[in-house]
Amino acid sequence: MSFDDAIRLTEILLGFAFAQQSIEHFKSFPNEQRLFIPRFILAVLLIIGFQTAWVAILLFLLGLALLHRFQGPYNGGSDRMSLLILFCLCLVYLAPAQRWQEIAFGYLAIQLVFSYFFSGWVKVVNPEWRSGRALCDVFQFSVYPASESLRQWSKSPRVLFVMAWGVMIFELIFPLLLLSRISLIIALIIAAVFHFANACLFGLNRFFWIWIAAYPSILWFQSRFITAS
Amino acid sequence: MFHILKLLLPAVIPSWRFFDVIAPSPRIQFVLLNSANPPSDEHCEWREFRPCPAHLSFLQMLGRMLWNPERNESLFLVSCAERIVQQPTQHSEDEILKRIITELKSNHSGLTEKTTHLQFRLLLVQRQDSRLQQQVVFHSRIQPLSAQDKT
Repeated sequence: MSFDDAIRLTEILLGFAFAQQSIEHFKSFPNEQRLFIPRFILAVLLIIGFQTAWVAILLFLLGLALLHRFQGPYNGGSDRMSLLILFCLCLVYLAPAQRWQEIAFGYLAIQLVFSYFFSGWVKVVNPEWRSGRALCDVFQFSVYPASESLRQWSKSPRVLFVMAWGVMIFELIFPLLLLSRISLIIALIIAAVFHFANACLFGLNRFFWIWIAAYPSILWFQSRFITAS
Repeated sequence: MFHILKLLLPAVIPSWRFFDVIAPSPRIQFVLLNSANPPSDEHCEWREFRPCPAHLSFLQMLGRMLWNPERNESLFLVSCAERIVQQPTQHSEDEILKRIITELKSNHSGLTEKTTHLQFRLLLVQRQDSRLQQQVVFHSRIQPLSAQDKT
C-alpha cells in the first residue's frame, strides 16, 4: 500500500468512526451537542477529502475540548486511539519532508503493534489471566458484559481458559505476523473479529471502528520497511 | 493548558494495559428522597442505575455496532465512578447526578411532587476467594430537585 493511499484510507475510516461516535451525542445535553455536531460535520469533510489537513487539525483541537469537557476520555481506550490517530495525521500534514511524514505515520503503526503486544504481555505475566480466572471475573462481576445472560459464561471456566490463552497468544505473536503479507492480513482479520466480539459481548462498539482506522498504517509500514527488504 | 496536556499525554504515549487486572467493579445506585435529611442507608430504597438488559439478541448486538449511545454513556459513568473512588471530584459527581436526573425525567419513573432530593452511592463489587462481595464506598451529596428536573 502506498503512503498516499494509506493516509487517504485512514482519513476515510477515521471520518466514519468519528461520524458514528458523534451521532450518538446528537440527543445529548446542549453543551455536548455544541461539540459533537461540528465534529460530525468535520468527520464528513474528512471522508470526502475536503481540506483534510485543516479538518484534521480542527478535529484534534475539538478532541482537546472534549478531553476538557469530560475531564478525560469519554470512552477510555477508544478515545485515546482516536486522539493518537489524529495526532499522527496532523504531524504528517505539518511535517516539512517525506521522511518526517513517514516517521509520524510509522509511529502510529508501531503503536498499533504495541496495542496488541503489550495488552498480551500485561495479561500473561498475571497468574489470574494464565489460570483463566481473570476472564471468569470479567464475565462474573465486571461492568462489561452487555447483558445479564452473558454472565452465565463465567460458569464455563474451561471455555474461558481456552479463550484467555487464545487472546494472549494472538496478542503476543502479533509483531511476528508482520513478517509476511499474508500473515499480516490474516492477523488483521482475526484482530477485527476480536474487536467485533468485544463490541457484541461488552458493548465496546467504538473500539471496533477506531482500531480498524489504524490498520492502513500497519499495511503501509510493512510494505515500506519490512517486506520491502 | 498544563491540565489538558496531562490528559492528552496518555493518548499520545499510550501504555496499552487493557484488562491487565480485573479491579473491583463499581455500581451506581440512587435513591429518591422526600427531604434533605435521608433515613439511614438500610432504610432507603436504593435502586441500581440503568441495570444491564437481561438478554440481547444477536440482531440487537449488531444494531449496537452503529447505535450504542446508552451503553457508551454507561461506560463513561463507570469512568466517573472509578475517578470518584480514586479521588472524588465535583465534575464526576455532577455528571452522574445530571444523567440520573435526565434518565428519570425521560422514563417518568419515580419523580413525584413529593420527591425533593436525589442521592447516589457507589458500590464496589469484587471477588473474595470464590464469593462476590459488595462494599459501599461513596455517598454523593444530597441533590435538591428543582421543578424543572421533574417535568
